[in-house]
Amino acid sequence: MLNNGPVDRVFHALAEPTRRAIVERLSAGPMSVSDLAQPFDMTLAAIVQHLQVLEQSGVIRTEKLGRVRTCRIDSGGLRLAERWIAERRSRWERRLDRLGEVLAEDDDQPQPTPPSKKRKRS
Amino acid sequence: MTETTVVHSTFTIERDYSAPPARVFAAFANRATKQRWFAEGKGSEVLEFMMEFRVGGREFTRFRHTGSAEGGPPKGTEIRNDTTYQDIVPDRRIVFAYTMTIGDKRISASLATVELRVSGSGAHLIFTEQGAFFEGADGPKMREGGWRDLLLKLDEDLRKSA
Repeated sequence: MLNNGPVDRVFHALAEPTRRAIVERLSAGPMSVSDLAQPFDMTLAAIVQHLQVLEQSGVIRTEKLGRVRTCRIDSGGLRLAERWIAERRSRWERRLDRLGEVLAEDDDQPQPTPPSKKRKRS
Repeated sequence: MTETTVVHSTFTIERDYSAPPARVFAAFANRATKQRWFAEGKGSEVLEFMMEFRVGGREFTRFRHTGSAEGGPPKGTEIRNDTTYQDIVPDRRIVFAYTMTIGDKRISASLATVELRVSGSGAHLIFTEQGAFFEGADGPKMREGGWRDLLLKLDEDLRKSA
């Protein structure tokens, strides 16, 4: 089996619906574990397990202040996933994007355009 | 001896350009322009690019990765593209057969078709590749496959949770 290490962990973490829902909730801003757990129909222990998977993959970070554990998005994990996908975009996808850029660049250059057709005046 | 595998795959990529088909076609037919988008680009250095744009003509590209991607070929790896043009219809269609080699490993042999259609004041491009991908092609998974499978998987998961 392929082993991409950190990238595997990120996709594994994100492949689970509850964990994606947690990430979605956190994208609004940092939240305490108990606030985070509120809308989910599962035990706090189950949520904490999901949080551990997310934290180990680098998708979120948690921090304990006094008795409250706060969770927040760690952009590192998501960026890793983003980069992995971007790098797997096919060579041709990238080439054809580049072709679009080249066509646009040439548009900006004063180029030897064919003599413009003169409108017939009626 | 490592196991040999062949994966056959067909994929299509479509793009819309604001330039008309004749200009897009020219970007394929003109050596200097083609080199700019085909061979050059972020993360690669062109070592050689020669092109003979006619049916039966060859094209040869040698480039090197200047950046390394996780799971991709290591930095400095040489990649070669060997193309033979099979069919050319000006402003409409280009068909070519090509092989790709990474280091000393041939990783694929494919038939690619580029179709150009008028779309408003621009062009609609359809790129279709029908390929045989050999063992080792899977590691870098540079092509459509990896990306598409992944999105499919994500989509399935999203449906399940919907």
